[in-house]
Amino acid sequence: MRELNVEALARVEGDGGITVTIDGKNVKSVTLDIHEGPRLIEQLVKGMTPADDLNVVPRICAICTLSHKYCAIRGLEKALGIKPPEKAQVTRELMMLGENVESNSLHTFLLALPDFLGYPSAIAMLNDYGDDVKRALRLKKFGNHVMAVTSGRIVHGENPVIGGFGKYPSRKALEEIKLKAHELVPDAVRAVELFASIDYPTYPEADMRFMSVNAPKNQFGFAGESIIISNGKEADVEDYKKLTNERVVSHSFAKRSLYQDKPFTVGANARLINMGKRLDGQAADLLKEHYNERWLKNPLMNNLAQAIEMLWSLEHLPDAADKVMSLDDPPIEKPTRENGSGTGAVEAPRGTLYHHYEIKNGLIDAADIITPTAQNLDDIERHMKLTAERMLADGKKDDEVRLGLEMVARAYDPCISCATHLVTLKRI
Amino acid sequence: MHKLRDAPGDIEEDLRSELEDIAGNGRVYVLGLGNTDRADDGAGVLVAQALKKRFPLFSFSEHDGVEGTVLDISEKKEDAIIIFVDAADLHASPGKIKLVRKADIRDTEITTHRVAVALMASILERADKRAAVLCIQPGRIEFQGKVTRPVLDSIDLTTRVLTTIMKNANS
Repeated sequence: MRELNVEALARVEGDGGITVTIDGKNVKSVTLDIHEGPRLIEQLVKGMTPADDLNVVPRICAICTLSHKYCAIRGLEKALGIKPPEKAQVTRELMMLGENVESNSLHTFLLALPDFLGYPSAIAMLNDYGDDVKRALRLKKFGNHVMAVTSGRIVHGENPVIGGFGKYPSRKALEEIKLKAHELVPDAVRAVELFASIDYPTYPEADMRFMSVNAPKNQFGFAGESIIISNGKEADVEDYKKLTNERVVSHSFAKRSLYQDKPFTVGANARLINMGKRLDGQAADLLKEHYNERWLKNPLMNNLAQAIEMLWSLEHLPDAADKVMSLDDPPIEKPTRENGSGTGAVEAPRGTLYHHYEIKNGLIDAADIITPTAQNLDDIERHMKLTAERMLADGKKDDEVRLGLEMVARAYDPCISCATHLVTLKRI
Repeated sequence: MHKLRDAPGDIEEDLRSELEDIAGNGRVYVLGLGNTDRADDGAGVLVAQALKKRFPLFSFSEHDGVEGTVLDISEKKEDAIIIFVDAADLHASPGKIKLVRKADIRDTEITTHRVAVALMASILERADKRAAVLCIQPGRIEFQGKVTRPVLDSIDLTTRVLTTIMKNANS
């Protein structure tokens, strides 16, 4: 019996590692070990006002900060009986487009691409792919800018509030966003070209199941009231517990999810598989050109999916900015009740995020947050095990197997810090 | 009288001398890194915020967008250095300050949250700009904790030294 370890998984957020246990020629187990300590956010917010909760929960993550903010707002507004004004809704769509560009640009160009081009990191890529590294920084800067314009700050902006926005973006800022988004489209097209040209390894391939929100009005988008499952079923977001079925495992500070006793995947690939036919523009053309049945089996395709989705976000930013400009600034909607419950579901860049709240007498009585990485962990381990088995059977060296496993884990764009906020510690 | 080594005056003079040495004759930009929600971890941001009042065009922090700031400076047609200021575990007592030059910046990996300083320094180097990291040893990094006294003193000292350097370089 021997172990093959990746002690510190690089180019992901948070502290995790991979352990492969090998018995003779058989891979007994592959685990993604989460070392990040539990953060207990759900307990922390109990007894807070909904407004205070909204200040705390985005601190779970500095990159999905607006996804957490928006998801919490959706859950809290439902619980408090608030219908947000149209301008608030379209401004929220705008901020999510910005976050998508910001996160997907960093992950595709700088975290995932080095693996496929044979470099240890983006730093090593600089000599040969310096322009692509700069593209990543330009796109990330722009995504950050959209987030700052809509939320008030690049990270942890406090402008989005329950019932609307403290302040809406100015016409000048929106016009600038429109111009810059147009200008950056070629950078996103380059990302698609790069990821479409890669010969993806087949080692992790296996039938997969995907989940994503069902954006309203038969459009592509990052929020919805129902969840599409790639087996053809659909469920109301209020039934999120039946979809995620969380459980604790001994080797991880993050909970795990199974749907009908099987692992599933959330993320950009899930969104394009479930809603890809709703894309338009160049993003639709490029998806049509590069989509094939391997998307349904190979988690590495998530990198290409993120690149296409980033392009769609850039192509849609001008429309979203126009919609915001076309509407007058409404007042912030007030709660219509002090007791209630509600679930929000949004698509963070790395997958579906749920926030559920129960409110009693105007205070948070219970909170439940389920992050994309927590949902993906079982499927990450399943695909890593297949990869290890097949690479070892192919006579690959340990270092090659390690890299193969890291590529699978990284393809999911995991956020380990996010995933470890919710484990309950039991002392016996 | 024999001057005690590491007396505050010495630290300040030594740091000023080191910074002047690497700053050369170009513009001096400061980019403060860290998380102000986590006590001493926000030291770099606090230094940058203090300097921003006097040097709004030359001092930036996490709140301005790190990668975009570096990209903008890398594209300027001028001789320049970016001094990143960040809390770092130096295995020293809280408040200890250490200047790390470009050649010694560890080639750490990028995480999901932010591009590594090593990559940003490399991008600057390709654009004929220089970079260094001014590290401050934190004493406490708990969420919503208060900044410790030794780190507050180091923030003040760093701000004083950088004010002198930036005044000379950027006027």
